[in-house]
Amino acid sequence: MGDVSPLLQFLFSGLTTGSIYALIAVSLVIVYKVSLLICFAQGEFFVIGALTMATLVSKGLPMPVAFGLSVVVAMVLGALVERVLIRPIQSSGTGNLIVMTIAISLALRGSALLIWGKESHVLAPFSAGIPLQVFGATLQPQVLWIVGITFVALLAIWLFFEKTTLGIAMRACAENRLGASLMGISTQKAALFSWAWGAGIGALAGMAVSPLLFMQYTSGVMPMVKGFIAMSIGGLASVVGAVVAGYLLGLVEAYTIGLVSSEFSDPIVFTILIVVLLFRPNGLFGARWSRDV
Amino acid sequence: MKRGVFMGLATGLALLLLCGNAAKAATSYKIGGIFPLTGALSWLGEYKKKGAELKVELINKAGGINGHPLELITYDDQSSPETASRVAQRLVSRDGVISMIGTASVPVSGAVASIAAKNKIPAIIGSGYEVNAQKEPFLFNTAHKTDFAVARPFQYFQGKGITKLALLMPIGPLGELGSTLARKYAPHYGITIVGEEKFDIKAADLTTQLAKLRTLGPQAVFSFCTGEPAALVARNMNQMSMNIPILVSHGNANPGFLKFVSSLTLPIIVPAGRAAAPDAVADSDPCKKVVTDFSRAHQQKYGEPANYYSAEMVDAISLIAAALKTTGSDDPVKLRDALEKTKGFVGMQGIYNFSPTDHHGTVLSDMMVLTVKDGKWAVLLK
Repeated sequence: MGDVSPLLQFLFSGLTTGSIYALIAVSLVIVYKVSLLICFAQGEFFVIGALTMATLVSKGLPMPVAFGLSVVVAMVLGALVERVLIRPIQSSGTGNLIVMTIAISLALRGSALLIWGKESHVLAPFSAGIPLQVFGATLQPQVLWIVGITFVALLAIWLFFEKTTLGIAMRACAENRLGASLMGISTQKAALFSWAWGAGIGALAGMAVSPLLFMQYTSGVMPMVKGFIAMSIGGLASVVGAVVAGYLLGLVEAYTIGLVSSEFSDPIVFTILIVVLLFRPNGLFGARWSRDV
Repeated sequence: MKRGVFMGLATGLALLLLCGNAAKAATSYKIGGIFPLTGALSWLGEYKKKGAELKVELINKAGGINGHPLELITYDDQSSPETASRVAQRLVSRDGVISMIGTASVPVSGAVASIAAKNKIPAIIGSGYEVNAQKEPFLFNTAHKTDFAVARPFQYFQGKGITKLALLMPIGPLGELGSTLARKYAPHYGITIVGEEKFDIKAADLTTQLAKLRTLGPQAVFSFCTGEPAALVARNMNQMSMNIPILVSHGNANPGFLKFVSSLTLPIIVPAGRAAAPDAVADSDPCKKVVTDFSRAHQQKYGEPANYYSAEMVDAISLIAAALKTTGSDDPVKLRDALEKTKGFVGMQGIYNFSPTDHHGTVLSDMMVLTVKDGKWAVLLK
């Protein structure tokens, strides 16, 4: 192929979808790191964040205000869910807790249907302007926003978990709940914070990517599945792993579609997942984190 | 004591019988409505239900049919053939309907078709399901034949000198159908298919496929899909400055899709029935009055104009009402026979001429070709 523009377009397309997967995977990791729990309601926080922001913007609020408010709404909702629905059954085993998160997911999806209806909502890109043309390939400015937001979120999470007392306490809870509580750390408070954080990042992901999609109450399902795969490949508890795996998935999908065929995109993604789980059961970045306390 | 119980029972029984009689005196003609109110097709189910309900209301306000009011009993098919099959059976055996209307997708229509055939109850669907009138005598369809939705815009392309077409089809039966029909009709209208790509309807970005198609130098793109995926194709093409016409399915002729794509600048081509653009229908068109009258009533009641989906169900109700008038009986088999004899019936979708070999009744020219201009529909071919 003499023309490089299709190959470059595949790259941009992969970055676009990869950003979506990476952010939602990060939000899953945050909850997992502290609670050792995979929250299947993460896709709903994604949707609720996006739809709340769309509503606020349509009510005339400036974008940054709507953005901030929606994150807060999601964080409060996440904390509420943890306090009211997760904490009471905390000791009843991981199986029950996971089923509970699935129930929460369905309940939130139903609520979103009641609040926002069945139709899709469109959110304008964060910055106006024409798509960037690079050697004949097109990159949407919104993708730069998403990448930027992903890295700011990543930095904030890293600083929080590495440099703040609360963050270190939260990691301690993940490592050894009993030990942490013996050291005077409130494991309950840590779990509450992790849910608020997780929901907030999930909402952030939804808001950042919604200008690329058409958001409606079921839009969280696909990102949740792909985010979960990225999280598993990245090593469940690794934020960096989730981001790398998210972008990897997006790029693999784009190049598979571009160079082979759309029908092979899912099979190849799942093959990668299987291979990673077989040869590196802790994921690409799993081992380092589990010993890192 | 025993006698008291007996008397009580007898009175109760008598009362029950009386009530039964009273109810019978005011019997309504019961029509079952099966609509996707939840699930993947829920966005269009509501339009269908609202259209059918309003038509029933209008008929009843005007005195009903032969002195009987119509009664519409609706169920949600959850966009799934299994549920559709269950609720259709329930409509027939428990609710005692004399006819059924509704459904939106080919598999769901298939499920309702088999219940209609088994119970000998006429059903008027509105979907891409192609009715084989001889094999399925109880099934009718007020949606235009899917072939028209491809042939008609191809006719427009031919007039515009567009000869090179690229296909971007969703993975699944709808995309297969679109691809088959495109290849079937392309030669008739002097069109060459330069290439085909597929996509997952849940995908967030289709620029990869479009970049590949662009290298083949097409003059237009055809993507046989509806709603968000169709809007995404158009949006991605717009972002990539592919300013060639994008043809999507006839299911997109509704306000929801218009909202998604109104900010885009490339030509978006949508085949549609008259209901999508009542103002564009010529005054000499016999359907004009039916379309504009109902559209006005719809606007008044629901605050939005009628569309393709409401029109399908409005015609279904009207056709049943007309057939009931001619037979004067509520026997489902007689109703079916009367439906099949319908000739020259002026509906919203066109002029229906049913026959033992044609249960669609409408023709190619009953479909218009629309485009989006300044956030509104404009007619390219009528």
